[in-house]
Amino acid sequence: MHRVLTTCCFCACGCNLYLEVEDGRITGVIPSREHPITRGNLCLKGWHSYEFIHHRDRLQSPLIRRHGRFVKASWDEALDLVTARLLEIRDKYGAESLGVLSSAKCTNEENYLLMKLTRAVLKTNNIDHCARLCHSPSVIGLNNAFGSGAMTNSIAELAGAEVILVTGSNTTEQHPQIARFIFDALAKGARLIVVDPRRIPLSRFAHVYLQPRLGTDVIWLNGMMKMILDDGLADDTFIKMRTENFEAFTEMLRNFNIEDVVTISGIRLEDLRRAARMYASVKRAMIIYSMGITQHISGTDNVQSIANLAMLTGHVEQEWTGVGPLRGQNNVQGACDMGALPGTLSGYQNIADANIREKFENVWKTHLPTVPGLTGIGMFRSAGDKKVRGMFIMGENPALSHPDLRSTRAALKGMEFLAVSDIFLTETAELADVVLPAASFAEKDGTVTSTERRIQRLRKAISPVGESKPDWQILCELSSRMGYPMDYETPAEIMEEIAFLTPIYGGAYYNRLEHGWGLFWPCPNSHHPGTPFLHKGSFARGRGRFEYVRYRPPAEVPDDRFPFFLTTGRIYAHWHTGSMTRRVTALSREGPEAFVEINPKDAKTIGVRDGKPVRVFSRRGDITVKARLTRDVPEKTVFIPFHFAEAPANILTHYHCDPGADIPEFKVCAVRVESVQ
Amino acid sequence: MKDRAQALVREVVPNIYHPYPAFIKEVKEETGDIKTFTLAFADQEIQDRFVFRTGQFVLVSVFNCGEAPFSICSSPTSSKGLELSIKKMGLLTGEIHRYRVGDAVCLRGPYGNGFPLEQLYGHDLLFVGGGIGLAPLRSLIQYVLAKRSEFGRLTLLYGARTPEDIVFEDDLTAWSKEKEVEVVTTVYQANAEWEGNIGPVTNLLEKAAISPSNTKAILCGHPAIISYLVFDLLKMGLAEDAIISTLERNMKCGVGKCGHCSIGSKFTCMHGPVFTYREMKEFPSVL
Amino acid sequence: MLGKLILNKEHLSSFLRKIAKEHELIAPVRNRYGDTLLEVVSSVDDISLDLEARPVMPPKGFFLPRVETLFRYQRKDGHYSFKEVLPNVSRVFFGLRSCDLWAILFLDVVFQENLKDRYYLNRRSDTVLINIGCREPMENCFCKSAKSGPFLTQGYDLQFTDLGDRFFVEIGRPRGRELVEKWDYFFRPATSGDRDEQYEIVLEAESKFGQKVDFETAISRFMRYEIDDDLWEELGNRCQNCGGCAYVCPTCHCFDMMDRPVSDTEGERVRTHDACTLAGFTRLAGGHNPRRERGHRLRRRFYHKLPFAQDKYHRPSCVGCGRCVEICFGRVDMIHVIRMVCKKPEGPREASLRLGEILLDAGLISWKELKSTLEKQAGTGKRLGAQLIEDGLATKEEIASALSIQLGIPETEETG
Repeated sequence: MHRVLTTCCFCACGCNLYLEVEDGRITGVIPSREHPITRGNLCLKGWHSYEFIHHRDRLQSPLIRRHGRFVKASWDEALDLVTARLLEIRDKYGAESLGVLSSAKCTNEENYLLMKLTRAVLKTNNIDHCARLCHSPSVIGLNNAFGSGAMTNSIAELAGAEVILVTGSNTTEQHPQIARFIFDALAKGARLIVVDPRRIPLSRFAHVYLQPRLGTDVIWLNGMMKMILDDGLADDTFIKMRTENFEAFTEMLRNFNIEDVVTISGIRLEDLRRAARMYASVKRAMIIYSMGITQHISGTDNVQSIANLAMLTGHVEQEWTGVGPLRGQNNVQGACDMGALPGTLSGYQNIADANIREKFENVWKTHLPTVPGLTGIGMFRSAGDKKVRGMFIMGENPALSHPDLRSTRAALKGMEFLAVSDIFLTETAELADVVLPAASFAEKDGTVTSTERRIQRLRKAISPVGESKPDWQILCELSSRMGYPMDYETPAEIMEEIAFLTPIYGGAYYNRLEHGWGLFWPCPNSHHPGTPFLHKGSFARGRGRFEYVRYRPPAEVPDDRFPFFLTTGRIYAHWHTGSMTRRVTALSREGPEAFVEINPKDAKTIGVRDGKPVRVFSRRGDITVKARLTRDVPEKTVFIPFHFAEAPANILTHYHCDPGADIPEFKVCAVRVESVQ
Repeated sequence: MKDRAQALVREVVPNIYHPYPAFIKEVKEETGDIKTFTLAFADQEIQDRFVFRTGQFVLVSVFNCGEAPFSICSSPTSSKGLELSIKKMGLLTGEIHRYRVGDAVCLRGPYGNGFPLEQLYGHDLLFVGGGIGLAPLRSLIQYVLAKRSEFGRLTLLYGARTPEDIVFEDDLTAWSKEKEVEVVTTVYQANAEWEGNIGPVTNLLEKAAISPSNTKAILCGHPAIISYLVFDLLKMGLAEDAIISTLERNMKCGVGKCGHCSIGSKFTCMHGPVFTYREMKEFPSVL
Repeated sequence: MLGKLILNKEHLSSFLRKIAKEHELIAPVRNRYGDTLLEVVSSVDDISLDLEARPVMPPKGFFLPRVETLFRYQRKDGHYSFKEVLPNVSRVFFGLRSCDLWAILFLDVVFQENLKDRYYLNRRSDTVLINIGCREPMENCFCKSAKSGPFLTQGYDLQFTDLGDRFFVEIGRPRGRELVEKWDYFFRPATSGDRDEQYEIVLEAESKFGQKVDFETAISRFMRYEIDDDLWEELGNRCQNCGGCAYVCPTCHCFDMMDRPVSDTEGERVRTHDACTLAGFTRLAGGHNPRRERGHRLRRRFYHKLPFAQDKYHRPSCVGCGRCVEICFGRVDMIHVIRMVCKKPEGPREASLRLGEILLDAGLISWKELKSTLEKQAGTGKRLGAQLIEDGLATKEEIASALSIQLGIPETEETG
C-alpha cells in the first residue's frame, strides 16, 4: 500500500491529501498535516473524495450514438468521428459555428491545450468554461478596479485579520477550510460581519449580521461607504496615493439616498452603521465574497462596489487585508488563468492585441482568430439562431448547471454535433453524439490553481480506469488528427510551454512544485518565490480605480403571478451537478434528495408541511420538490440547491445576464409555490 | 507462533457478518406499499436449525442493494415459518418488492432480545400499533394466541392512515373472533365504506377497558405516537416497566459493533429492540 | 531472558531490516512533504524514520481499514455464492506512540466483546506492537490525563525508551519476547545504570506533560446529567459536520456496511469508517432521524466516549492523543468540550467584560473610556453599566438598546 499526495478535486480551497493506493485501487484518503490550508483535516467532501473513482458508472470506453442509442466504440472510431464532424462544421459554416466548453475540474495543462486547440486548430475564440457562471464578474470587476481579477491576499491571512466581512458566501458549507481560518480569527478576538439574504450557518457567529433583500447589494455597499465617508473613517492617505477617480466617485456617492438602505435593501441604518464602523475602524480587515455577489445581472457592479469599499478604507495592498473572491471549483482559477475564455489567452493576455497574438503565433506556428468569441452563455443563445452548430464540451454539465434548462437542453439537442468528454455519463453527455471517457483527478498528472492563486500538483495515483484517458492525451490525439500535431510526452512539458508564454506562470515548473506547497502566481520566472498577496506597493494596474455604481434591480422580481423570490445555491454534502458526489455513499446519505427551503409563515399560507412535496413554477418551467421549513430564508423567498437532477433548480432560472460578464442571474428570479395534493 | 494465530482465528472465530441464501416461499400484498414475504433458507440444515423468539429481527441482504433489518412478524409457533412485512421505502425495499416467489435473498439472524415473555405470563396484554408497527406485535400476538391459557385478556388497538393502509386484515378479523380478545381499529382518513373509528390510535386508549395493575402494554409505531401513548398509559396508572416498546433504529451490523443503533450506553440490536419505558427513560432523546 | 534490554541506536536499522524481511514493518515515516505517516516500510534505508512526531492518522486503519471488503458475492441463476476476503498479514509496528498503542488495546476489547469480529482479529492476530515512550509532549497531547501515556506499564509487546545513543527495551507481552529472542544478538541486558537513566527520563517526561484535562469532573457531570442543552446547541453550531474527529480518532470504530455492485451478477459487501456526528448516521429509511439536531449527535458522541466508556471499560475511550484538538474546525474537540463541561457559570467580571464589548461594538464608548471605567469599577464594585451611567459615558437607554440588539432580548424596563 502506498500513498500519493494530490490536490482535492472539489472546491478551490486547494487542500492536499494523500490517496491511499492498494492493488491498483484507491482505498482511502489522508489529509496532509503540513499543508498550510489542509492542516490535518478535510471537509466532509474531501474525506470522501475517493469513492466515486471506482464507481461502476465510470465511463470505460468511448460511446457513439447510432440510431438513437449509445454503442461502444474504439478510440480511433470516436476520435476520427469527432475530428471529421467538427472540421466539417467548421469548413461548411465557418469557425464561428463551433463552440468549446472547457473544464474547471481539469488541469491547467488540459485547459491550455483545449484553448490552444480551439484557437489554433478550430480557428475560433468561442471557448469558455463555468467561470462564466460563477466568477466572471470578479475577473472583470476586479480587473477594472485593481488590475487583476483574483483573490488579492492568501487564505491564511484571514486568521490574522481583525475584522472579516463575508458577503454572498456560505463559507462554512462551501469553503469549510476557509471558514476554519475565520474561526481561528474569531478565537483570537476578530470581529465578523456577515451579509446574506439567507441566514447561513456562519451568521450565527457574526457580530453583525445584515439580511439584505435579494439583489440589493449595491445599495447597502453604497450606504456603508457613505457612512464611512461621513464618519471620517476613510483612509485619505491611501486614497490619495494609491487610487484614482475618487472625486468623481465621492461626488456621486454624496447624492446617494441613505434611506434606500432601509426601503430598498431592508437593512436598518443602525445595523449598517455598526458594520461600517467595525470594518472601517481597524487596520486589518478582509472581505470575502462568492456567488451571492456575482450571480446577478449587476454582478460586475457588485464586485466594483466591494472594490470601492476596500479602497475607501485602505484595506487592500497589504497583509491581512484585501478582497477575496472564493472560487468554487478546484481549478476554475486555473482555467481562467489558462485562457479558456473567449477574450483572453493564457495569463489574461488579450486576444485582440496584435502583439500578444504575434507572441503566441510565433510559438504555435499558426494564425489565430482575432475577434473575441462567444461566452458559454452566448453559445447557447446562438445555438437558437443556428449560429453555433457544433460543440466540444470537456468536463462540464450545462444540461444541469446552465440557467433556463429547457432552452439549454433544447439548444444542446439541436446541435448538429456534440462531443463530450467526461468521467460519468452526465445529463449533458446523454445528449451527445460522441462521449469520450476521461480519466479522473486520481489518474493523471497536472497542476491546478486554487482560489488563492496557489498552483499545486495533481499526481497520478492509479492508471486510468478502463479505457479512459487523461484529457490532455485526448486533446493531443484530436489535435493530431485535425492536422496540428501535439506531441507532448508529459504534462510537465505542457507546463513549460505555458510558462514560456504566460508571464504570471513564468516560473511554474514542475521541479519547483515538488517542494514546498505550490507557487502563488504571479511567478514570472524560475527564481521568483511567488506572490502570496497581490498589489503590494501598487495595484497591478498602477492605481486602484474608484467607480461609482448605480443600483439596478434584478431582472425578474416577484409579481402577482409569481409572488416569491427564488434563490439557488449549494449544500455542503454535494458539489456542482452531483455527478461525483451523488455516487459517494456518505455524501448522498448526508444530502439524499432535493428540497426547497420555505419560511414557515409562507408554508402555513400555502398549506405546506415539512417534508411534503410542493411544485415550484417559474416562467420557464416547474419542478416538484420536498419542502423544508426553516426560518433561515426570509418570508416570500425560497431556496433550492441545484445539485439534484430529478428536481433541477435551473429549470426555473432565467438567461438574463450581467451585460459585462455575461453571467446569468442565478440568484434571483420569481416563482410560485404550490402544495401538491 | 507466526502463522498459527491467524490460522486459529480463521478456524475458530465465526463470521458474524455472513448472510445465508434464502428464497421467497410466498408473497402477500397487504396494502399498496406493504407486502408480507414468507422466507426459508436454501440450506435445509440451516432452516431446521433456525430458531427465533417473538420480537427478534433478521438482516435481509438484497442483491447489490445492501442489508436492512426487518422484524419477524410471525411467531415461532406459526407453521408458516419466517415471515417479514416490508414497506416500500427506498432502494432495498423497492427492489425486494419486485421479487416473486422463488427469488433469492440472503438472511442472517435472528438478532435482538425479543419480547420479555417471562414478564408477560399471566397478565392482560394491551397491544397498541400504528401502521407497519403491527408487524412485530403480530409475532407476539400469534404466540399469545397459540399459548392462550398462559396469558390474560388481549386488547389490540390498531391505527392506520387510511382503510387501504391497514395491514394483516385477515388476521385482525380472525383475532377479533377469539375468546377474551378485543380488536379495535381506527383510521386518520376514512373512505366511503369505512364504518369504524376515525382519528389517531391514541384516541382509542380512553375507551379501552383495562385494569392498569394487571396490564402490560406493548407498543409499536412512529416515535411521535409512542410518546403520547406512554404519557397516557402512565396517567392511567401503568408502571414504567409495564410499558414495553420495540424501537426502530438504523442498523448495519446487527451485532453491536458498528455503532449505528447505539442508544444510551446500549445497542438496539443486542439489548433491544424491545425496551421497557423504564429503560428508555435512561436514554437521552430516544423518542 | 530478563525483561529489560538495551539496543544500540546504530543497530536499529539492521534490526528493522531483519524484521522487514519476514513481516510487514510499519513505522512512522516523515515523507518528503514533511508529513509523518505510518507506512509500510520495505526498504529501511530509503526512509526517514520519525520517532518524535505523532503520525497524522492513527494505526486503527491497519486493523479496521477505511474501506474493507468483507466478502464478494455472486448471484447466478438465482443462486448465491460468497467468497470471504481475509488477507494474510503479519505485521510489526515499530515506533507507535503510547497513546496509539493503548488505543489498539481498546479496539481489541471492542472487537472481541460479545461476538468476535473475524476480520479485525485476522488482521490483529499476527501483530507485534512496539511503542516508543514520548519524552516531550506535542502540542495538544494529554495522554497523562487520559492515563494512556507518555509511557505505558503494560499492554505493549515491546516498549522502547530513547536514552540518547541507545534504546531501553522493555519486554511486555509474549510476542515481544518472541521477537527479541529471535534476534537476541542485537540486544544486551540493561544494567542498573541503564535502568536508573530510563527511570529518570520517564519521570522527566511525565513532568513535562502538563496539559491537565479533567476527565473525572467531566464524566461525573455527564453521569449526573448536569449539562445544559444550551451547551450542546452551541457545540452543534460550531461543529462543521466534517466527520474528521471520528476519522482521526484512534479509538473511534463506527463503520457503515454497504454493497458495492461490480456487475449485474456480482458485487462486494464492504464496510467503511463512519462518523456518528454525521446526520445520516441514524436516519431511518422513512426519513425520521432520532438525532436530527447536530447538538444531539455531539452529545451522543461525548457520552459514548466519556461516561458510557467509563462505565463499561472503567476508563474513557479517549487516549489523549490530541488529534481532534488539532483538526477540529469549530473547536468541538475533547479538550474544549471537557473544559466547557467543567466550567463554572459566568461570574460578574466576565459578564461586565461582555457588556463592555457590546458597547464598544455599538460605538457608544471608546476603548479608553472602557478601560478607565473597568478600572474604576474594580474599585467601586459597581456593575459596569451602572458605572458608565454614573460617569455620563452612556445613558440607560443606549445601554438597553445595545444589549437588546446584540443579545436578541426584547427591550424592557429591566435591561440595563
